[in-house]
Amino acid sequence: MEEVIYRHQDQTWHLSAHRAIFWQEEQALIVSDLHLGKSAHFRKAGIAVPANIGQDDLYRLQLLITAYNPSQIIIVGDMFHSRENNDVPYFKLWRQQFAHIRFKLVKGNHDILPATTYEALNLEVFDTLIIRNIHFIHEPCSEEDAAGYTFSGHLHPGIVVAGAGRQRLRLPCFYFGRHCSILPAFGRFTGLATLEPEEDEAVFVIAENSVLKVN
Amino acid sequence: MKNKARGWQVITEWLAANDRKPFAFQEEAWEHYLQGRSGLVNAPTGYGKTFSLFLAVVIDWINKHPKDYQQKTKNGLQMMWITPLRALAKDIARAMEEVLQELNMSWQVGIRSGDTPIATRQQQKKQMPEILIITPESLHLLMGQKEYAKVFTHLTTVVADEWHELLGSKRGVMVELGLSRLRGLAKKAGRPPLKVWGISATIGNLEEALDVLLGAPDPEAVIVRAKLGKKIELQSILPDEIEKYPWAGHLGTRLLYKALPVIMNSQTTLIFTNVRSQTEIWYQEILRQCPELAGAIALHHGSIDAELRVWVEEALHTGVLKAVVCTSSLDLGVDFRPVDTVIQVGSPKGVARFLQRAGRSGHQPGATSKIWFLPTHSLELVEAAALKAAMEEQLVESRMPVLLAFDVLLQYLMTLGISDGFHAPEIWEEVTSTFCFRDMTEDEWGWILSFLSTGGEALYSYDEFKKLEREGDFFICRSRMLAMRHRLHIGTIVSDAMLKVKFMSGGFIGMIEEWFVARLQPGDAFSLGGRTLEFAMIKDMTVLVRKSNAKRAIVPSWMGGRLPLSANLGKILRRTYTEALSGQSDMPEIQILQPLFDLQEQLSHIPKDNELLIEMIHTRDGYHMFVYPFEGRLVHEVMAALLAYRISKRQPITFSMAMNDYGFELLSDQPIPVSDGDVHDLFSLENLSNDLQASVNSTEMARRKFRDIAVIAGLIFQGYPGKHKASRHLQSSASLLFNVFRDYDPQNLLLRQAFNEAFFYQMEEARLRESLERIYNSDIIITEPEALTPFCFPIKVDSLREELTSEKLEDRIKKMRPQI
Repeated sequence: MEEVIYRHQDQTWHLSAHRAIFWQEEQALIVSDLHLGKSAHFRKAGIAVPANIGQDDLYRLQLLITAYNPSQIIIVGDMFHSRENNDVPYFKLWRQQFAHIRFKLVKGNHDILPATTYEALNLEVFDTLIIRNIHFIHEPCSEEDAAGYTFSGHLHPGIVVAGAGRQRLRLPCFYFGRHCSILPAFGRFTGLATLEPEEDEAVFVIAENSVLKVN
Repeated sequence: MKNKARGWQVITEWLAANDRKPFAFQEEAWEHYLQGRSGLVNAPTGYGKTFSLFLAVVIDWINKHPKDYQQKTKNGLQMMWITPLRALAKDIARAMEEVLQELNMSWQVGIRSGDTPIATRQQQKKQMPEILIITPESLHLLMGQKEYAKVFTHLTTVVADEWHELLGSKRGVMVELGLSRLRGLAKKAGRPPLKVWGISATIGNLEEALDVLLGAPDPEAVIVRAKLGKKIELQSILPDEIEKYPWAGHLGTRLLYKALPVIMNSQTTLIFTNVRSQTEIWYQEILRQCPELAGAIALHHGSIDAELRVWVEEALHTGVLKAVVCTSSLDLGVDFRPVDTVIQVGSPKGVARFLQRAGRSGHQPGATSKIWFLPTHSLELVEAAALKAAMEEQLVESRMPVLLAFDVLLQYLMTLGISDGFHAPEIWEEVTSTFCFRDMTEDEWGWILSFLSTGGEALYSYDEFKKLEREGDFFICRSRMLAMRHRLHIGTIVSDAMLKVKFMSGGFIGMIEEWFVARLQPGDAFSLGGRTLEFAMIKDMTVLVRKSNAKRAIVPSWMGGRLPLSANLGKILRRTYTEALSGQSDMPEIQILQPLFDLQEQLSHIPKDNELLIEMIHTRDGYHMFVYPFEGRLVHEVMAALLAYRISKRQPITFSMAMNDYGFELLSDQPIPVSDGDVHDLFSLENLSNDLQASVNSTEMARRKFRDIAVIAGLIFQGYPGKHKASRHLQSSASLLFNVFRDYDPQNLLLRQAFNEAFFYQMEEARLRESLERIYNSDIIITEPEALTPFCFPIKVDSLREELTSEKLEDRIKKMRPQI
């Protein structure tokens, strides 16, 4: 799987086509919006979506951990989709493979599990996480409200690119704005919200196995 | 002998007392009914089709209870009358009640639809009326009640009204399934077989329509034809200067000034448009040009408030309205006597629909129905000419019945699951006795059952799937929550998730598609129900709005509006074009177009009967290839995908495609590699099946079909009114589900249904082969016009496009820029 290295805010970011960022200086793998347990949540409600989407997402995370060997994993919110279901114990088992890696969860609007559960899963929970002047916060906030440069998720960002012959594509993307960056949703059972970047803001789209700068 | 029976006598005497006597076809239907037969009555609106069956049931009842037929009450449900439109139920009930009253019978007539108040439902639960007028959805809801079988213990007859309208839709499948259960119940209880009758306007396949209704050919069943010749006259509203009339993309309002005198000189005019958005625009434009009509014109379409619709219908009866702008929502049903004029704006896309609309005026038997055709662009006049020809030759299209609609089956089984549960072998017998599911395999049935009981997966410990519980071969839903949700869900056979629109201060305005609202920003103005509204927010699945004074408002375009031209009309259209282009036609619609044809000839070419025209044009948008097979939209959709696929095998290339009823366009950012030498190969029958499959797979056609399927099968949860919390975290879009199934469960039967619907079921492959063969053996003329031609223009401006590519995604993105 391909990656693109991007220098931004004086740091080195590896943008992976697996919808994750590896932060070189901090040896941190950053992901957002996993929505684990979403398919189980749907199935519990009688909506027969495939059951193995969550497992597949964790498998991809495992591949990334093996590839980058990070010392910490930052999850920028919406790690679990909803209330507790059987994907939670599955995650617990899966987590034990990487007991030595710190998992830092920045709470998102979907993260509604009780504190004891996060504790049992060996997850450190934050409302905002600050590392080297980078503020991790789930929902992107406006420039005035931001205390510093932020990394967010929440939106499941996508972008529309257009070309001659009335061609149009809508793809998930990494967005690096002036005061805030937004990560693509890691979970595959998630939709897209279209962003409209300014001229001087960098945008990288994920096209199957590659990452391409389009803005 | 029957004629001497008491019932027959009572009815004919009653008719005679009112100075009426039965039509021959009514007597014929009564006769067959009294012999215990099932069948189909083919009669146009306005000729007593209701009485042909309703009175038959009454006669039978009097025959059986000659002494006390007037006194007997609480007899239980005798006859169910299925109607496709809620709006029709009231009028039918009123007509029946009048008769019963005059006959001094104490029978009750009830209505059961989404509009029926809860109190009435509860009353019906205690004591069913003898006659129940019901929609297909409400029939299924009845079957979703505990001990529903009791409701039907006295039922002898089911009538499917406007069957031609239900046939060919998934609501028709609901009727098929409902009937299969009712027949099964009668059989199980040892009652005599149910008498099932349909009422249908004229369509090309009446025999098949009867078979679908009865499930299997019944040698005893009959078709009763009214044989009432109704004269229809078509007149086109012609632009003064054809050179100045738009080539495409117009709404027809430019000719309104010529339609206004027609409206003014009539008592009441119905103005039919094809899409709801056009209705809104026409309504506002009429008011703008003719303010004195305020209060005397109204709007009628499926998305406006039911109360307002009812008001419009009442006002039509009493004749207080001068004109009503409407869509197919007023195609059906009882007559509005004051209506004496009908205007059709744009192509009606089918002979049957056109005849039906024309029939909304001039109701007195023997009177001529007059319909005006108002073209929305120049070439549409050819369609008017084709319609005239079709009417003269009495060529009417067929309605193809829906096959293997697994989504509807899933919904139906869940319905049985939430009432009393079901035994799989018993229901398998019933379901496979329907026309829709007669070819269902045991494997498919097994998949359906497991989709409902284990969520399609083999049971494993982590899975918490919950819907139907399985006890041996018995399936039942034991969750009250799921049952309640399903009840709310039945009836959502619609094209998109619809949201309610309400004022911030309260007050319901209508319904609107979710995808349209998704594009709105707070403060945007849009129009609905003839009002200009300002979007404020979405809350609890409701769109909240304020009144707006904005001059410009976005008009919602409803997806359901795009109708394909039927096969029969396509054929006549091609012939009409041939005649028109060879200058042989004497119809005014064609003659006025001569300057346009001259321009076409000058810029490009006019194809002769044995020719296919292809135009290659280079514009700012890219490289266009226009192809004109004159085969109708459905064939063109598939043919465009096929051609795009075959060209894309020659080199990596991306196409966007558009089509209309006489041709299609392939558009690319690079020159299209097609020349005189190799163009014939594109239409070859060799490898056709494989190429077709591959081309459909590489477009979004199946994804679009999946939207309906996901909703009907219960995969998209629309939430309950006012209960936002319960639906928490269960929102997803059909498109996302499509991706997830494609990536994680490609064998899913619902995906396969989407592919089949996109393709095989929408059109017969035979028809495509036939047209490809015709083209393969004809002369293909490729021209390279300097400018856009009158032929290509209407296709080029079409914005609903399909895409197909053989380029690598990465290579495509490198040529693109973010759209801002």
